[in-house]
Order: sequence, then C-alpha cells, then structure tokens
Amino acid sequence: MKISRNISFGQYIPRDSLIHNLDPRVKILSCLVMIISLFLITQFWGYLILCSFTLGGIIISQIHPKFIFQGLRNILFIIIFTLIIHLFMTEGEVLYQVSFLKITKEGLINGLLISFRLFILILVTYLLTLTTSPISLTDGIERLLSFFRFMGIPAHEIAMMMTIALRFIPTLLEETEKIMKAQISRGADFDSGNIFERAKSLIPLLIPLFVNAFRRADELAIAMEARCYRGGEGRTNYRELKIRKTDILTFAFTIIITFVTSIMF
Amino acid sequence: MSKINIRQMTLISLFAALTAVGAFLSLPLQPVPLSLQTLFTLLAGMMLGSARGALSQVIYVFLGVIGLPVFAGFKAGIGILFGPSGGFLWGFIICAFLVGKMMEGKRGENIFYYFLVGLMGTIIIYILGIAQLSLVLGIGIRRAIAIGILPFLLGDILKIIAASFITRKLKSIIE
Repeated sequence: MKISRNISFGQYIPRDSLIHNLDPRVKILSCLVMIISLFLITQFWGYLILCSFTLGGIIISQIHPKFIFQGLRNILFIIIFTLIIHLFMTEGEVLYQVSFLKITKEGLINGLLISFRLFILILVTYLLTLTTSPISLTDGIERLLSFFRFMGIPAHEIAMMMTIALRFIPTLLEETEKIMKAQISRGADFDSGNIFERAKSLIPLLIPLFVNAFRRADELAIAMEARCYRGGEGRTNYRELKIRKTDILTFAFTIIITFVTSIMF
Repeated sequence: MSKINIRQMTLISLFAALTAVGAFLSLPLQPVPLSLQTLFTLLAGMMLGSARGALSQVIYVFLGVIGLPVFAGFKAGIGILFGPSGGFLWGFIICAFLVGKMMEGKRGENIFYYFLVGLMGTIIIYILGIAQLSLVLGIGIRRAIAIGILPFLLGDILKIIAASFITRKLKSIIE
C-alpha cells in the first residue's frame, strides 16, 4: 500500500491581471462555452482560432507558460496514444508504409484534429484553475447552482460540504498513514497474497479509518449545531461577487468568438 | 430532495473527502497499480443511500473541478470531466445513486447481495466511462474497452469484495 504525499494542493497562481480579477461565474461559464464549441467544431481552422484565443488569455493572465505546460504533461501520454491509434489503425488512402504498419491520410487528419482538441481542452481549463483560487471557484459554483434552486438543488449546502470535505482530506490522509503503521507493527500485510487475501487485508485498515472518521463527522456536526448553523437561508457572505463592466465585455467577447467559430467551422 | 440535516451534511462531506483520499492511496497490483477511489464510491452508495451517496460524489467531482488534484493520477480541472476519462467521473455519481437505490429497503446482511450490487455499480461506471472514452478519442468501443477496462478489471473485483465486507461490518454503526 502506498500513500502519495508531497502533492501540491491546488494550482492557483496569484497575479493581478484582467483574467484573475474576472468574476468566477464569468470564468466558469466562458470555460463551459469554450468546451461546448470545441466539441462542435470539426475543422482545423476553428481549433486554430480557439487556440489563439486561449493563448491570448494566457498572455493577458501574466502566468508563465511553464505552469501551463506542466499541466499538459499529465495529458501528453493520452494525446500521443490517440495520435498513434488513429495514425496506424484507420483505413484509407495510404501515405507511407513500413511492412505491416501504414499511415493513412484519414488517420493523420483525424488523429491530429482529436489531439488538437484535447490540447485546447486542457489549455482552457488550466487557465481557469491557474487564475482562480479554489475558494472563489467554490463561490462561483455556489452562485451558479443557486439558479437551479427551484429544482431542489441545495446550492449553499453543496458549497458548505465542499469546504468541509476540503478540511477532512489532510486529516484523513494522516489518519490512514497512522493506522497503516499501527497495523503493520502488529503484523498486517498489505502487499502480498492473492486477490481475496488482498481484499481482506484492506479491512483492518479501512474499518478503523471509518470508525474514526464517523466520530469526527459527528463531532463536527455537534460543533456546527452548537454554533447555531442553520443552512443557507438569509446567510450573508464575507466575499460578495459583483459583475462589473469588464466581466460583461469579456463574456460577450467569448460568446461571440465561440459562436462564430462553431457556426463557421 | 428532502432537506439534509447537519449530521448528514458532515457524513456526505466525509465520503467526498474519502473518495478524494482514495486517489492518493494505491495498492501495487499487476498490471496497473490500483487506486481506492471506486471503493469509496461504492461504499458511499451502500452506506449513505441513493440521493446522499450521489451528492457525496458530486462534491468529490466539484473538488476536482476547483483545482484540487483528486482525480485519478492527481489530475484536476473541469477539462478532465469533459476529457477522455471524464465518463468514469460521471459514472461515480450515477453508480453511487443506483447502488444506494438497490440497498434501500434491504435490511438483511447478505454479503452476496452486496457483492452483486457492487458489481452492478462498477458496470455502470464502465458503461459511462467507455462511452465517453470512445467518443472523445474517436476510437472504437473494443479499443476503448482494451485501454479503459481490462487493465483495471482485477483491481475492481478486489474493491467490490472489500466493499461488501466493509459494508457488512459498518452498516450497523452508521444507522
């Protein structure tokens, strides 16, 4: 059993730029609009326009491209993999052939288009998480979800639970490590045996973890009740989100660009 | 959805956090290391029930969306949700809901029934995951299964077994 540690939590890089100062709601919606149009576009030129639009955003955001490309490393494998599958496995007009491997024209075009689409997809969403702090994204999600309150979606509760979950993660990681060490010192073996033995070896780890975690959840619930927490109704915020002129302009600009490219290409 | 009280809220958050922690825990297994996320997805459905189980997975997905590296392979961001492997994340939510539905009203402690429920849940994750994988990458279903299911099959069965055992032990504590 391995616990991965030393992972940087969150990707936000604080700067004082136009993109950073946009309302999180505008940023989330723009991002969604871009994603939708990415899947509507089927031609190379459309991708090129959206890609340059995103690159423009990156330049305005004053974030060093190195951070963006660090994020792309994650998806590099799948992009190359897709390219290879399409390159060699599509039937069509043969461009180049080495024994049984052949590269077809259709394969090359399809592979490049799909890789390009994935590349922009990750670029756009990285721009969002690099320029917006997790807290303001949570605020943004809460406010966007509250449009759907009439459907019974508990917007405030969801944001609250995200914050609580956030606080639980490091505690739970630490606790898992402690329990693991304690059980190993008592002779527990997590790393060998057949599938049944391994499934069973998880039990001495997870049962104490759950029992402790339930206790914590209970304590937190009591603490919240003791402080008279009563949900989102009539609750005010420390940070108020305000839509300003730049927000409206940026959003309108994004909509126009994506709409026009989606229709043209 | 009925109003959730504070105790339920903290429990839902707990399962969201556990699913996230599951991404950090991995068992060395051939051919790919096994992460424990879906174990907690199944347990969320089994212990919290349909609506609350699904809500815990929604919270988990949102944690990834706001930039925390809680998706498989420490990925994060809204792009992963719409990328090749995003179908599995949608699957988590549906899986927890359906697993919860199948558990509701079942009082017995039949471990084989738990196993069956877990199996159905995992199959739902597979269906959604494979559908999006093949759509986004533009590859055939068969190839999508080869990269999206086969390497993980053994580990997923192991997780279903573990989830059944744990549910039998813990169901009485949470109720």
